[in-house]
Amino acid sequence: MTHPWSKRSGSRLGGLGVAGVLLLATVAQAALPSTAVGSTAPDEGDPRLEGALLLDATQVKAGGDFRVGVRLKLDPEWHVYWKNPGDSGLATEVSWDAPGVQVGDLRWPFPSTFRTPDGFITTHGYHDEVLLFAPAHVSEQAQGTLTVSAAVDALACKVHCIPAQLVLSRTLPVGPETVTDAEFAPLFDASQAQVPAPVGGQGAPRVALALDGTTLTAGKPFTGTLTVTAADGKPFAGGVEGDFFVPGRIAGVDRVALKQKAPGTFALEGQASSVVPKGEPRLTGALRLGTRATGFTAVDVDTALAPVVADGAVAEAAPLKLPSMKDAVGKVKPAAAAPVAAESSMGLGLALLFAFLGGALLNLMPCVFPVLAIKAYGFARLVQEEKGKVVPHALAYAGGIVATMLLLAGAVLAVRAGGSSVGWGFQFQEPLFVAGVSAVVVAFALNLFGVYTLGADGTALAGKVDQSHGLLRSAGEGVLAVVLATPCSAPLLGTAVGFAFAAGAATVVAVFLALGLGLALPFCVLVLVPGLAKRLPKPGMWMERGKQFLGFALLGTTVWLVWVMGGLAGVDGMARLLAFLIAVGLGTWLYGQSQGLEGGRRGVTVALAVLVLVGSGAVALRFDEAQASLETRGAVASSHGGAQPWDEAAVSAALAAGQPVFVDFTADWCLTCKFNERTVLSRDDVRQAFLKHNVAFFVADWTRRDARITTKLAEHGRAGVPMYLVLSPGAPDAPEVLNELLTADSVIQAVQRAAECGSPLKGGSVVCARH
Amino acid sequence: MKQVFKALALTVAFVGTPVLAADSAEVGKPAPAFTLKDEAGKAHSLSEYKGKVVVLEWTNPECPFVKRHYEAKTMQTTQKGFDAKKVVWLTVDSSSTHSAKTAADWKKKEGFSQPVLLDTDGAVGKSYAAKTTPHMYVIDGEGVVRYAGAIDDDPRGKNTAKVNYVKTAVDALLTGQQVPTATSEPYGCSVKYKS
Repeated sequence: MTHPWSKRSGSRLGGLGVAGVLLLATVAQAALPSTAVGSTAPDEGDPRLEGALLLDATQVKAGGDFRVGVRLKLDPEWHVYWKNPGDSGLATEVSWDAPGVQVGDLRWPFPSTFRTPDGFITTHGYHDEVLLFAPAHVSEQAQGTLTVSAAVDALACKVHCIPAQLVLSRTLPVGPETVTDAEFAPLFDASQAQVPAPVGGQGAPRVALALDGTTLTAGKPFTGTLTVTAADGKPFAGGVEGDFFVPGRIAGVDRVALKQKAPGTFALEGQASSVVPKGEPRLTGALRLGTRATGFTAVDVDTALAPVVADGAVAEAAPLKLPSMKDAVGKVKPAAAAPVAAESSMGLGLALLFAFLGGALLNLMPCVFPVLAIKAYGFARLVQEEKGKVVPHALAYAGGIVATMLLLAGAVLAVRAGGSSVGWGFQFQEPLFVAGVSAVVVAFALNLFGVYTLGADGTALAGKVDQSHGLLRSAGEGVLAVVLATPCSAPLLGTAVGFAFAAGAATVVAVFLALGLGLALPFCVLVLVPGLAKRLPKPGMWMERGKQFLGFALLGTTVWLVWVMGGLAGVDGMARLLAFLIAVGLGTWLYGQSQGLEGGRRGVTVALAVLVLVGSGAVALRFDEAQASLETRGAVASSHGGAQPWDEAAVSAALAAGQPVFVDFTADWCLTCKFNERTVLSRDDVRQAFLKHNVAFFVADWTRRDARITTKLAEHGRAGVPMYLVLSPGAPDAPEVLNELLTADSVIQAVQRAAECGSPLKGGSVVCARH
Repeated sequence: MKQVFKALALTVAFVGTPVLAADSAEVGKPAPAFTLKDEAGKAHSLSEYKGKVVVLEWTNPECPFVKRHYEAKTMQTTQKGFDAKKVVWLTVDSSSTHSAKTAADWKKKEGFSQPVLLDTDGAVGKSYAAKTTPHMYVIDGEGVVRYAGAIDDDPRGKNTAKVNYVKTAVDALLTGQQVPTATSEPYGCSVKYKS
């Protein structure tokens, strides 16, 4: 019998340069005993598939390891199927019978994807040839000869499908040493190179998924972002090509696909099946990174998705009730009508109230206070000099705040729609943004020092312009207040904003609006309550001094901003930012000089100022975010004495080992977090409690974007840090979420509860329920 | 911030592009309507079977899986187990190359009685998202899909004790109970659509 594949030359195994190996294998076929080779799937007597049982050793020792495999060769255009065949077909099945040998799980090389011409049916499998293999372990007692048999059940398809069954068998002598088969071992190695590396395996890329929602809705599409980082923690930089993602069979999910957005970042799109599954679906499949030119690395994807919830409120109320024949159709409601907010434990009214109070409280935070102080100063002048303009200025200031809040709400919605998960304070994860805010703060301070003036020109025209400039300035101060306020997540704010992020677009806007009104409130009260204003002191020289003094207060903010930059972009980033800020100083000083000049000379000076700013910006504002990760990760961990960087797997391991777990979700730019760390978490009695209960302390550092952390925050209805989780080994699925403002007592008690609940010594009678 | 600008641009691009719901057979949703002619030229519409449970069986007489089930009488036996007054069984062939004659020949060879509906252009098959042969759907008396998937839990034809999903679904519907398994992964050949 002649087989068509013996005439074939090249190979399509995938850019690994295995053509030579295949040639070798064709020759080696002759060396196999007849029981190791079989043809099947006869189509009018002509077989379409040939299988051979291959071993990578010619002799094995007792207790030794080797590999067993089935090589399937197919006629051109015929294929067999991967473990998830796709829309049709049947997974290839290999069952082993090998007394004295333990055969492990079958290894599947990365499959090809096949589509019908109209794209309606997609399947996954192998054409030409494939070696499916498994690791094998010889028992310690083995002696004489081992017999390995494989029963192969495959479906071979081209246009038609032909089931194939093969029974293949080989014997192998047991000897003092394992002797590698020089002919077949390279084939196994070539196949191994295409097998996706297991999740979290050594040297394997890491995969993290951030879904855009906290749940999937039955029958509805869902989206998310999958990020791949190389094993060394650096973002994966290479490209992908072809059908680089092959999903596994996922109960509860009808369809998933990945699209590359940027190297290492993939948009996930999928559709939940119309029936709610029993368990929570996991995203499984094989992801192949790299290109033909760079070579491929495949990795297994296996990561939690989100629970699937029923479609709409009706299904929620009676998930199992079968509608009667009469009202069945009428009861099927669209899911879009069901607001996600309804699932939150917090009502909209309460969230708005919290947002409003939180906004008001922000005025007292160190980030916003300098702005308020400036405003109060400017206001004192206004009250004395231009009483009629007080209300317009108050409105401009409030307007500036509200408009910026709405812009932020819009940005949040846009980013959410664009497929990224965001959190409160997310803009401080962007070095350029931090640099921009620093520049504005410095420019403002220099204005207060009198280096230059805004708007006041001393000419006759200026009198008219001054009014609007003044109003613009008030509005600008409102904008600045919001920009500076975002990282100062006041205690009430976290919950309110978290609520907003989980809710619909209208709610997001309403919450941001409430925040803005709260922020604007104290100043407006000052202005609009008649008696209050008159109590302010009269203007005089003190105002000039006060103004300059406030300039220093504002400059103080830059210390913090520069420090944030350090967390984002390392020492280099800090230096670059400082250089840029000096240029900002020079530029504004030049501008100040120009204000005393006329005509052409003035133009030249202004141009020079712009040149300095733009030039220095172009040179200095290049930040290497990757550089910071190594520097600061270690710093955060060491500042907590024995804290480890947060990792879901490490948390599970600690819980499995019976340790209570404390997770600190923090960020360099989060002042509340820093406050808690300094005043509570580093206290001796807290540390003692951690030691006493053998608590595993994890730090989830959100200073830079981290999709895993964003997802975790969202799981608990939060959009930002701080968040503190206490997990008990006795109830690993029910973490306790502590208040944003920690107290030593609350931490110690939570840790103690977690330890007692999980302690095996206390028996199973301890109640571990959470409130 | 780059991200934000990109997202803003994306949002602008997406506005006005409504997401169209796939017109497919989803469990819990109304079954797509159809009218098809059988091998004898008689037209069948889903709507005319209102009030009855309808079983749709996607088929291709040449598919080894279909052959296996007809040789083992899986389809014939399942159908005979139902009360013909309450349950209608329609076999649909969406293969582009088949005709009334191939359907009639097959029917004669296997000796069954249900109509074989010809969907040569594949429109109905695609509206149901039928992808394999056999691929089974059970529709209740109100026209709502209650089961979609395989005929049973035995893709390889090896199990002695199998669960016949179609039989359990129809029995559950007739006794007013919840269908125990509403979906399963169909197995078999791909539907040979015109392309």
